[in-house]
Amino acid sequence: MQIISFFFERHLDKTVLAVAVILSIFLLTRPDDSTVAAGRVISSYLFYPVERVKRYVGSLDELREENRRLRRLVASLNHEKEMLLQYREERNRLRELLGFRRDGFWEFLPCEVIARSASSYHNSITLDRGGDDGVRAGMPVVGYRGLVGRVTQVFPSSARAILLNNTSVQVSCLDKRSRVVGVLGWERGNLFRLDYVGREEDIQPGDTLVTSGLGRVFPKGFPVGTVFQVTADKTELSRRVGVVSMTDLNRLEEVFIITGSREWESGEVWRELQELQQGGGPADEGRKGNGE
Amino acid sequence: MKYLLRVVLAALVVLVLQMTLAHRLAVTGAMPDLFLVLLAALVIDRKPVVGIVAGFLLGFLQDLGNAELLGMNALAKSVVGYGIARFGGDYLPDNPLFRGLLVFAAALANDIIVLNIGRSFDPVVVIKTFLRSSLLSGIYTAVLAVVVIQVVRILPGRVVRPGGRQ
Repeated sequence: MQIISFFFERHLDKTVLAVAVILSIFLLTRPDDSTVAAGRVISSYLFYPVERVKRYVGSLDELREENRRLRRLVASLNHEKEMLLQYREERNRLRELLGFRRDGFWEFLPCEVIARSASSYHNSITLDRGGDDGVRAGMPVVGYRGLVGRVTQVFPSSARAILLNNTSVQVSCLDKRSRVVGVLGWERGNLFRLDYVGREEDIQPGDTLVTSGLGRVFPKGFPVGTVFQVTADKTELSRRVGVVSMTDLNRLEEVFIITGSREWESGEVWRELQELQQGGGPADEGRKGNGE
Repeated sequence: MKYLLRVVLAALVVLVLQMTLAHRLAVTGAMPDLFLVLLAALVIDRKPVVGIVAGFLLGFLQDLGNAELLGMNALAKSVVGYGIARFGGDYLPDNPLFRGLLVFAAALANDIIVLNIGRSFDPVVVIKTFLRSSLLSGIYTAVLAVVVIQVVRILPGRVVRPGGRQ
């Protein structure tokens, strides 16, 4: 009785604090079981309506203009893609001659961001696609301009992905121009640093960094950021390389999950282009058939 | 009961705001911790026990919205909730400057705990990240908290007992 009185009457606040700390440590050391996952699923559904309403509030004129611009962009990109496909075919034929594996094409699953993490240092996003759509943990997530993160948790109709601006994420990158390899780590905002770059390595401001594909965590060749600063380290053994990310990671709205790779069918680009033009209304009628 | 409902509603609103709006409010990469703002507004005039419980529940809710480490924010917010309630009512004068300083200190303490757990107690990374982000975020959070506490205090229906504690 005296012990109870000591803890719960004389030192109630300290006892409750100790209980809270012990409970938190218990949660931290507990494996991510189904009960916890269920709680997270419920919380991920909370923001869905909010995000939907926010999108509808956006100006319709703005959306129409954006749609027009995007259609133009897609059409021009499709032309460019067709040209690149021909180069790729040629490259694949040469690779086969040398005994290398053929390159595939990535399969992109478009997703909308329905929520963001509530933490400043462990940034993540919740996406509106999940296990029912074929999403699995570990799949890379890219934006329009390059890599943004990786799927870590999958629920039936949503998934959570950690972003590059997360203190626990490090990405092996290489300089597109000089092929220098380093490890990218987050500093703050959209700023990163490239570690393990030797003093003699050729790296300059303005260089583009792409994923190296080492470790097979992220696929090779996706743009990650641009070098904006290169200075000598205090130790004089390595260089401090400042990098700004390609994508504004704080303003992601649509992203793509890379669900796998596939072979490209001949003429697929033109079919896609025609479908786009057919859906484009009377103004686009005159351009139909250009690709035939 | 009415108060509890209001608190739950406020917590849910803050969770949604933190996950949808906080990133847009970022200034040079520093984001306000809206959970800490809410926690400060809720417990600054209350008993430490209320601070701990509210901190734990808000932190747990924040953890549910994160991809990793369930319990990390629950731990940090429990300690910080205790600190705000303990020092807010007993030791510091009741004016906006001291309230701001208290929330700033709470934000720094919160970040020290979160960073240490998140980065497995790696002192170099923790200190670097702390100096780069936490100070600015702390100021941002403190300023926001002072405004919110001031607004909450002038809301009708809020009763403050003569001793300060509710």
